[in-house]
This record gives sequence, C-alpha cells and structure tokens, in this order.
Amino acid sequence: MITLTDFLVVSAALFCTGLFIILSKRNAIQILIGIELMLNAANLNLVAFGRYDKINNGGQIFVLFSITLAAATTAVALAIILNVYKRYKTIDPNKIDELKD
Amino acid sequence: MENLLQQIDTLTIKFALVAVLLPLLAAVVNACLPGRTNKVAGWISTLAILGSCILSFFVFSKVWNQHVVHQKVLWFAIADTKLYAGILLNNLSALMLLLVSLVSLPVHIYSTAYMKGDTHYKRYFTYLSFFCFSMLALVVSDNLVLFYIFWELVGFSSYLLIGFWYTKPKAVLANKKAFIMNRIGDIGLLSAVIILYALFHTFDIAQLFGDNMSGSALANQMPVGVQRIACIGLFLAVAAKSAQFPLHTWLPDAMEGPTSISALIHAATMVAAGVFLLGRFYPIFTPAELTVLAVIGCFTAFMAASIALTQNDLKRILAYSTISQLGFMVMAMGIGAYASSLFHLATHAFFKCLLFLVAGIVIHEMQHIKDQNKLDIDPQNILYMGGLRKKMPLTFIACVIAGLALVGLPFTSGYLSKDSILIQSFEWAEGKGWLYELIPIGALLTSWLTAFYVIRLIAKVFLGDFRLIEFDPNIKLHISDGNWQYRVPLILLALCCLFPVFSYNPLLYEKAWLFNGFSAITGLDRVNIYHTIIPALVNILSLIIMYWSWAIYTKRKALPFPETGLLFKFSYHEWYIDTLYERFIIKPVMSFSVLARWIDRNIIDGFIHLLANIGIAASKVAEWFDRYIIDGVLHLLASIVLAIGNFARRFQNGRVQYYLFSMLAIILAIFIIKTLF
Amino acid sequence: MTMEQVLFYLMAGIAVGSALYVAATKNLVRSVFMFFVTLMAVAGLFVPCMADFVAITQVVIYVGGILVLIIFAFMLSGRETLANLQQQSKFISISKVPAFLLAGLFFIVLLNIILKGNVNGLVWTEKAVLTSNVITAKDTTIDNIGVNLMGNYLLPFEAISILLMMALVGAAHLSRKERGV
Repeated sequence: MITLTDFLVVSAALFCTGLFIILSKRNAIQILIGIELMLNAANLNLVAFGRYDKINNGGQIFVLFSITLAAATTAVALAIILNVYKRYKTIDPNKIDELKD
Repeated sequence: MENLLQQIDTLTIKFALVAVLLPLLAAVVNACLPGRTNKVAGWISTLAILGSCILSFFVFSKVWNQHVVHQKVLWFAIADTKLYAGILLNNLSALMLLLVSLVSLPVHIYSTAYMKGDTHYKRYFTYLSFFCFSMLALVVSDNLVLFYIFWELVGFSSYLLIGFWYTKPKAVLANKKAFIMNRIGDIGLLSAVIILYALFHTFDIAQLFGDNMSGSALANQMPVGVQRIACIGLFLAVAAKSAQFPLHTWLPDAMEGPTSISALIHAATMVAAGVFLLGRFYPIFTPAELTVLAVIGCFTAFMAASIALTQNDLKRILAYSTISQLGFMVMAMGIGAYASSLFHLATHAFFKCLLFLVAGIVIHEMQHIKDQNKLDIDPQNILYMGGLRKKMPLTFIACVIAGLALVGLPFTSGYLSKDSILIQSFEWAEGKGWLYELIPIGALLTSWLTAFYVIRLIAKVFLGDFRLIEFDPNIKLHISDGNWQYRVPLILLALCCLFPVFSYNPLLYEKAWLFNGFSAITGLDRVNIYHTIIPALVNILSLIIMYWSWAIYTKRKALPFPETGLLFKFSYHEWYIDTLYERFIIKPVMSFSVLARWIDRNIIDGFIHLLANIGIAASKVAEWFDRYIIDGVLHLLASIVLAIGNFARRFQNGRVQYYLFSMLAIILAIFIIKTLF
Repeated sequence: MTMEQVLFYLMAGIAVGSALYVAATKNLVRSVFMFFVTLMAVAGLFVPCMADFVAITQVVIYVGGILVLIIFAFMLSGRETLANLQQQSKFISISKVPAFLLAGLFFIVLLNIILKGNVNGLVWTEKAVLTSNVITAKDTTIDNIGVNLMGNYLLPFEAISILLMMALVGAAHLSRKERGV
C-alpha cells in the first residue's frame, strides 16, 4: 500500500530540487523549469490528498486549474524572457538588476 | 562805563587771541605750500609775527598796570568737572606776549636771510611759526591743562628745530638729549598740575594763584608733603626748560640747530618759559624752598659762567652764558626778587638774542670763508676768528652793546636788571648768617666772570687780527655785515638793549616801569647802603676785569692760569657733568636696560613662550582629542550607519534570486526555530 | 512488495532522478529534455492517486504544450540566443553551495514536518474512508470531474479561462516584433 507519506516525501524531494534550480541557475529558462517543477510537486500533493474527496474532487480539479495556470505563466514568462534578451543581451537574472527602462 | 570797559576787554581778548593764532595760521599755510624752498613761507611767517607783534602792543597797552582781563569758555565737561579754556591777561602774560612777539620779529626777518638757500626753507618757517604759536599760547593760557599742553608743544617744536638738520648725527643726538631732559621736567610739571587739581579742584590759574602773582601764600593751604612733591616737580620742570643745574646739559648741545633758532628759542623765549613758570606758580613755594631755588640758581649761574670762560665754540659760550643768566633769574625768584627776575628775563631776552644773531652772522661768514677757501676748520671756533670788526662794523657794535648789557654796565638794560637782582640778593641775605651771604657773593662772582668771558669772546672774535691769515696768508676775506635782513634785526635789538627802553634813569632800576609793574611791595627807597655801593663795586670791578681780559686776549699777555691746570680742565670739560651723567646715569641705565631687555627676552618672553607652548600643546591635545575621539565617535557612528546602509543595500541589489534566497532563508529559519523550540 | 509499490518507487525514482539531473546539467537543451522525463514520471505518479484524468492532462498540456513552447521559444530566437543560453557555469561552484544548503535544509524541514504531521492518520481522511468518500481503483473520475467543473467550480473555471485568454494576448503582445520606435 502506498501511503500519503510516500507521496509527500517524493513531492518534497521534487520541490526542493526545483528550489535548488531556481536558486542556483543563472539562466531564466532553467529557472522557469524550476518553477514548473515546484508546481508539479505541489500538484502531486493535491492529487494525493484529492483521493480522499471523491464527491467534490477538489484536489484533481485544482490540479487542472494549476496546470492551466502554469501553461499561461510559461507563455507569458517566455515572452518576457525573450524581450529581456532583446534589450539586455542576457537572460541572467542577476545581471538584470535595473528597474528603469 | 562798565559796559564800555567790558567791550574793550572783549576787544583785548580778541586781539590777544588773534595774536596767538596768527603764527599757527602761518604754520598751517606754510605746511600746505608747495615746494621745499618756497620763499613765500618766510614772508608769511614774518607777516604773521608782525601782526602778532602789533596786536601784542595793543594788548600790552590795555593790560599793563591796569585791570586783569580774563575770559574763558567751557571747553568740555566730564561729569561735574568743567574744564574751561580761556585767556588770562595780566601784567606777566601781557609782558611775555609782547616780549615773545617782539623778539620773534627780528629773528624772523633775520631768518629769511639766514636760512636762504637751505633745502628745507619752508619746513624751517613752518616749525618756527609753530613754535611762536605755542609760546604765545603758553603765556596767555589761563589754566593748567592748556598751560601743560603748550608747555609740551613748545618743547616739541624746540625738539624739531634742534634736530632741524636731521642728517647731522650730532643734531639728532642733541635733540634726543633735549627731548629726554625736557621729559623729566614735563613729568614734574604734570605731577604738580595733578596735585594742584587734586587739592583745589580747579585748573584755573587766576583762581589758584590770584590775579597778579603777588604772593598769596598758596603754600600754606597745602599739606606739607604734597606741597613738597609739587614743588620738586615744578623745580624739575623749571630746571629742564630753563636749563638749571642738574638738567642743564641739553642746552649747549641744542646749539646744533640753526643759530637763529638758538637765538629765539634757546636764548630768549623758550628757556625763559621755566622762569615764567616760576612766575606763574610763585605762590606755591615756601620760603625754605625758595632758598633752595636761590642756591641752585646761584650755583648754576656760577658754574655756567665758569664753563663759559674756557669754551672755544662761539655758540657754546653763549649757551653757557644763557644758562648762567637763567640761573640769575631763578636765583632772583628764589630770593624773592620776583620783579627783578622778570625784569632780567625781559632784558636778557633782547641782549642774548642779539648776541646769538651776531654769532649767527659771524658763523655764517666764517662758513663762507671756509667754503670759499676750502678750509678744514670749524666755523664756530672762536680761535680761528679775530679782527672781524673791520669787516663787519655793525655786527661789532651790536655785539659790544649786547656784551655790555650782558655784563651789566651802566646805560644798558642789563645794568638795570642785573643790579636789581644783586642788590636785592644782598638785602635778602643780610642778617641771615654767613651761609646765606654766599649767594649774593656767588652772584657777584658770576657777574665778574661774565665780564671776563664776554670780553674774551669779543676780543677773540672781533679784535686783534684775523687769525686764519696767520695760518694761510692767501685767504681772501669777502665778508660783510650782510644785507638789510641782517642789519635791521641787529639795530632793532641793539636799541632794545639800551636803558631808555626800560627806564628814564640809566642808573636806578627802581624807576624802571617794568620793574614797577611787578613789585607791588617794593617800597624800599635807597635807604640801604647796598643800593649805592654794590652797583659801583660791581661795575668798577667789572671794568677792571674787562680791561684785564682785553689785555690778555688782544695783547697776548700770558694767561693768569695755565691751560693744563686743573681748574682750566675742569671748566673746559664743562665740570665733567656730561661725563658724570654718561658714567653714572646713562651707563647704568643702559646696562639696566640691557638687563631689562635680557629679563624681558629670556624671562618674561620665556614665560610667555612657555605659556604659548603650553597653550599650543594643550590645543594639540585638544586637537588630537577632537580629531580622534570626538570626530572618531562621529566617524564611527557614520561608518556604522554606512555599514548598516551598505549591509542593507546588499539586500536591495535588484537580483531576484537573491531576494528569493533571503526570503526562503528566513522562512527556513522560522521553521527551524519553530521546530526546535 | 506489490506491483503497485514497485511502479510507484520506479516512478518516484525516475522523477526525482531526472529532476536532479535537470538541476545538475550544464546543457540547457538536455535539461529541457530531461524535464520532459520528469513531467512524464510525475504524470505516472498521478495514476496511483487515482487521478488518471489529471495524469493525461499533465501529459498533454505540460509535455505537449509547455515544453514545446519552451523549446520553440529558444529554437525560434536564433542560434546566438541558444549559444548564449547554453553558457553555463561549472557543475560545482561556490555560488551554488548556499542554494544547495538551503534546498537541503528545506528538504529536511519538510521531511520533518511530514513525518511529524502523521499524515497517514489524519482525521478527515479517516472520516472519508469511513464514509467511503475515497476514490477506488474501480471508480471513473472523469464524469465526476466534468460535473464538478461545470457545477461547483464553474466560477473558478470561467475565471481561469479569462486569465488564460489574457495571458495569451499578453504573451502575443510581448513577443511581437517591435516596430522601430
């Protein structure tokens, strides 16, 4: 029997990996990947707990929403990254530290 | 009637004021004139003094033996003390006013010729006019403050004129000496003035001494000690100004000035200021002090006369003669012969001025000879002169008249005044003991010595043959009496040396108007034996001495005493007084001042430097403290703030990942803390 | 050890391993493709949770949509971009140590919470078991999801759709070519 704990541990591992990617990478696209990974970890949690909600099915439905949002986020983020690259000729977030245009 | 009198008085005052101010005006105008040798200067000064002279005559005629004219205006007030400035015209001041302007006039005329060609012609007349102003103002001023001011100004202009040829080192030394000597006297006068004010709360001479100076015994109203101090101060003032014994040495040196100046200032007028001062302050002296005064005057007279015997410098002889005569005046004051003293002052002014003018002409001509023949001689040394009577007869006659007046032979003014002093001195000494008799005897001796040196002077200068020819036969003598600017003053003054100016009776001084103007108490008739014996004795002996002297110096007879003798040396070196001063006053003062300088330099300055160093050290400590402690605290605060700011700034570096990292780290920390505790 | 468990551990291993590879690799393209593997594995992990529809959606949208979008994004932007993007720092560098520490500590903290939280004995899950409100393997969840989506969650659904459209418009606007201004 696979328990909730197992899922949560896996989810935590994925989350921390995503966290590490976000913190350590010098590339905006990889950071985006890290964010997606963390979202997935969250999704996994939702799904795992959603098993105990047969009637409302809240967990799964919110995962659907989450996936949709992730898609939208990714689209917008990629557009932003491309624009940033056009302007600064880099996508290292550490080098883009000016607020003015 | 009263009103009319008032008006006349006002007019008199105005005239006196104008007479005083005219020379000042001349001095100011002269100072403003362009050019150093502007001939106009001489005429402006002469005209001014002529105006003063005429006005003085008028004033004199209004005041003499009539009522006293005194007017004053408020000068300034300090709290309750009101100081008035005014003019006091009584017999004394009116006489002095007239005398000064009358003597100044010929000197001015003479100076226009004498100073001709001098590079500082204009300056000379500026000073001269300034002196005349000061002197005239001195005699008419009615309060002690003004009196003191003009006393100083007179001394100051004298200083300027002694040092007129300021490029001559001797002149500079001489005027310095005169200035310092006078300073001693000025201190005395100032202290006397202050004492008088402290005691009587007024500066007004008329109030202090009464209107006509006739012995209102002011001395009795003063505390003894204070009165003594005041008298010592006054005596110092007199001694300095009139060259009396301890302070007389400046006057012979003052002969470095132009001769016309010597004639006016150092023979006729300024040196008489001391006697005038005595006249003004007469009531302050007690009989004992008057006796001291008489002793000193007598001593000075004798000493100076003895010195004059052996001097070779023409002007120095006259200078010592002046000192001697001033001694006579002071002595006369001392013995109570107030009137005689002033009488002698007046007569002396004329004949001594005349003598100096004669000397001036002689020196001028000698200088001329010297320049023409390129000789290396001292133009003032009488040993190089002689026989000048042929070349300059008028000068010779004037000199003889003046000389006889100085000796005091009958028919001259000098006879009247000098004999009055001698006679009164014998009267004074009578019955007081043999010590007192020394004073009239000293005076008598002095007058005989005077006779001797006068004849020596005349003989050496005018009689005999011209001695330079003996040295160098080729010398040409183009000399003469000079033009009218020389002649007129000589004639004018020579006339004033004769008896008619002062008295109708050539033999009896009691008849002299001037004498009577002062002596309210002298009611003595010729009851006393002295009145006939002394003049006769004096004059007969004088004549004998004169003949003797004449014989010695013109016929080249042997001197009665060798030139190497002790007495001769003593006299020749002026009684070694200057040497004494040099040794016992100047040297100690100098070494004291060196010591003082050393103390000042090393101890006082050292102390100050120490203080300064301490101050510097303290300020350095303070600076260090300021820099490192106070500023340090501030800098520390600033750098802490800066560090905090920099520290905080690092979180605001615009790096998104860093923000995230920080955020997560904090969350983590919270978690860990929550978990552990 | 049942088949189910074996599959679970397999999927979990693949997911975590590939995720770690994504984190470790220097090559961007490789990491993107490795991420694809991770997503697949996560989709596989959804299945034991009785969420087959979500797993399919995950595969379709993530793999079919997002990843393709990412690959497209830098494929389309030319070689220079790609070359630039592929510049990576070394595998282990000092700058990564704090990130690694943080992530590790986070993991420990999470583990700690999970283990302490007694997830298996939660009150509401046990109640759900008692009231048989648990999805079993035999149930079909798709119709229930459809009913709920159009019923209970209609408002969020519509909001999401609007958001999605806005994102679409925004992304299009951002990525359009700038006219020379």
